[in-house]
Amino acid sequence: MATQNTTGPAQPGLHPDDGPTRAAAAGHEHPTGRPHQDRRHTRAAPDGSAGAGDRLWTLLMLPGSLWMTAFLIGSLALVATLAFGTTDPLGNPRFGLNPENFAALAEPAYRAVMLRSLGYALLTCVICLVVAYPVAYAIALYGGRFKTLLIAAIVVPFFANYLVRMYGWSVVLSDDGPLLGVLRAIGLAGDGTRILQTAPGVVAGLVYGFIVFMIIPLYAALERMDVSLIEAGRDLYGGPLRTFFHVTLPATRQGAAAGCVLVFLPAMGDFVSAQLMGGPDQIMIGNLIQDKFFQGQNWPLGSALTMLMMAVLFLGMLGYLRRTRKDEAEAVR
Amino acid sequence: MTTSSAAPRRTRRGTDRKPRFAIAVTAAFFALLYLPIGVVVLFSFNSQRSLTVFKDFSLRWYTAFFQDPVLLESLGMSLRVATVAMAGSLILGVTLALGLVRCRNRLGSLAGLVMLVPLVTPEIVTGVAAMLLFKGMQIPLSTGTVMLAEITFSISYVTVILRSRIAALNPEVEEAAMDLGATRWQSLRLVTLPALLPSILASAVLIFALVFDDFVLAYFTTGVDPQPLPVRIYSAIRFGVKPTINAVGTLMLVGSIALIALALFIPRLFGRRGGLDLLSGK
Repeated sequence: MATQNTTGPAQPGLHPDDGPTRAAAAGHEHPTGRPHQDRRHTRAAPDGSAGAGDRLWTLLMLPGSLWMTAFLIGSLALVATLAFGTTDPLGNPRFGLNPENFAALAEPAYRAVMLRSLGYALLTCVICLVVAYPVAYAIALYGGRFKTLLIAAIVVPFFANYLVRMYGWSVVLSDDGPLLGVLRAIGLAGDGTRILQTAPGVVAGLVYGFIVFMIIPLYAALERMDVSLIEAGRDLYGGPLRTFFHVTLPATRQGAAAGCVLVFLPAMGDFVSAQLMGGPDQIMIGNLIQDKFFQGQNWPLGSALTMLMMAVLFLGMLGYLRRTRKDEAEAVR
Repeated sequence: MTTSSAAPRRTRRGTDRKPRFAIAVTAAFFALLYLPIGVVVLFSFNSQRSLTVFKDFSLRWYTAFFQDPVLLESLGMSLRVATVAMAGSLILGVTLALGLVRCRNRLGSLAGLVMLVPLVTPEIVTGVAAMLLFKGMQIPLSTGTVMLAEITFSISYVTVILRSRIAALNPEVEEAAMDLGATRWQSLRLVTLPALLPSILASAVLIFALVFDDFVLAYFTTGVDPQPLPVRIYSAIRFGVKPTINAVGTLMLVGSIALIALALFIPRLFGRRGGLDLLSGK
């Protein structure tokens, strides 16, 4: 689950900064490396008359891509189809072409869960950004020779078992756990204050679960940033805050945007945090989906919920991509 | 990909004072990051059932774990799933990555898109989808279905990790091998693959750890008995915690932290750059 998203932005289209590197590498291959015959064959590829080289590469590519297409695209298509299905009186799913599942999702009860999930996920993004930024900043600019070690100290535990981490976190946040103990001792929490079974508890779980996805891209952006820009800001008599908001923050905006996407995706789909940290009033869309597929045994409705969630995430991704395109266009100008 | 090493910007910034606020947040962050892990580890050695009061040091929960046939069966299953998923996704992922980098036709770009889908899809969606697919094909959920689902999911990781490495290879070396009479296949086997070995090993270790720890996908695709270890942990956490879970959790933490650290540092063992670029900021 973890690397899935960490490595995600390294792909073209997702990670704006990666484009030039790869383009350069690809451009380099042709003029210098490839013999003429190869170049001709690359050109001729689309009509199927590829040469020995291209045929080997296509052949190599086939097993993996066929596997992915069959299992992944096939299964996602199945979800999309079943979302329009119904259940028979015994609860077995039946394929069909009726939109009533989506109509059911418009009911207030589902709408509330949907909006809550969206709210939790967005709040998680904001908190992650606010916490991760100073951390990434301190490590990238002041970590010195411990930089790599410090980032490793953050990344490594995040790849440890998600459930064990969340369970430990729920113990820390529990009513007689260490965090509330400290807060009570310094008078920040009353006797009846709880974190578990509340909305802040669920958001705290999501933040703990996914904040690393915010730290990594921010750290990368800050590492890449030209520090002399900050010095220039100071030389021009910008105060630390003004320099930060006018120089540092804009320079790392793409890292922040990437981090938001990477946190938003798993936060939207999570059901463990709401399960362990929340009560019945904090369930998220992931819990509903899980319920429809296990206890509720209403697969078509569960599929419709899944599709709805995908639609929301797709819109978020689209927004992110448009944003980075615009940024790139501005950078070119 | 070469942010940290390439840029010669080591000039100490002329900042007169350190950002106290950022450093304080960082310290608090590290404390909260390790507190939950520390709690699990600490109470795994507790002689009492309590999760709040530490009485005496004891190994009773570890003994309990190693005498629990159900948990041991789950451990065995998780190890088997991780091994098979590692092997399967390496074979499919390495070939896919080679093809994707070198193949410049429409099929290649299409496959590149398909490969990205798991990376932008929440795990619950892939889990639900895989479960429906197996149910639809009348395949009973079992260890085998977990393996199939995990392979599918891991191919993307392997491909993403290796793709950038392959693109960074100097193609002239391969051409040189072919000028010297090697066939394309021989140059691939004798030149390219050895150069990729650190990255391949690193992703193998990483995939093993990720699959072993994976909960969501396993949860949706496993049968009733046996169940992978994380799924067992999930039910244990939900239905009243037994302190044995602390012991299992500690063992899993130690195991996966060791593996991840290994994966991150394998390339250095080979004295080369490469492998996972997580630490150099992509």
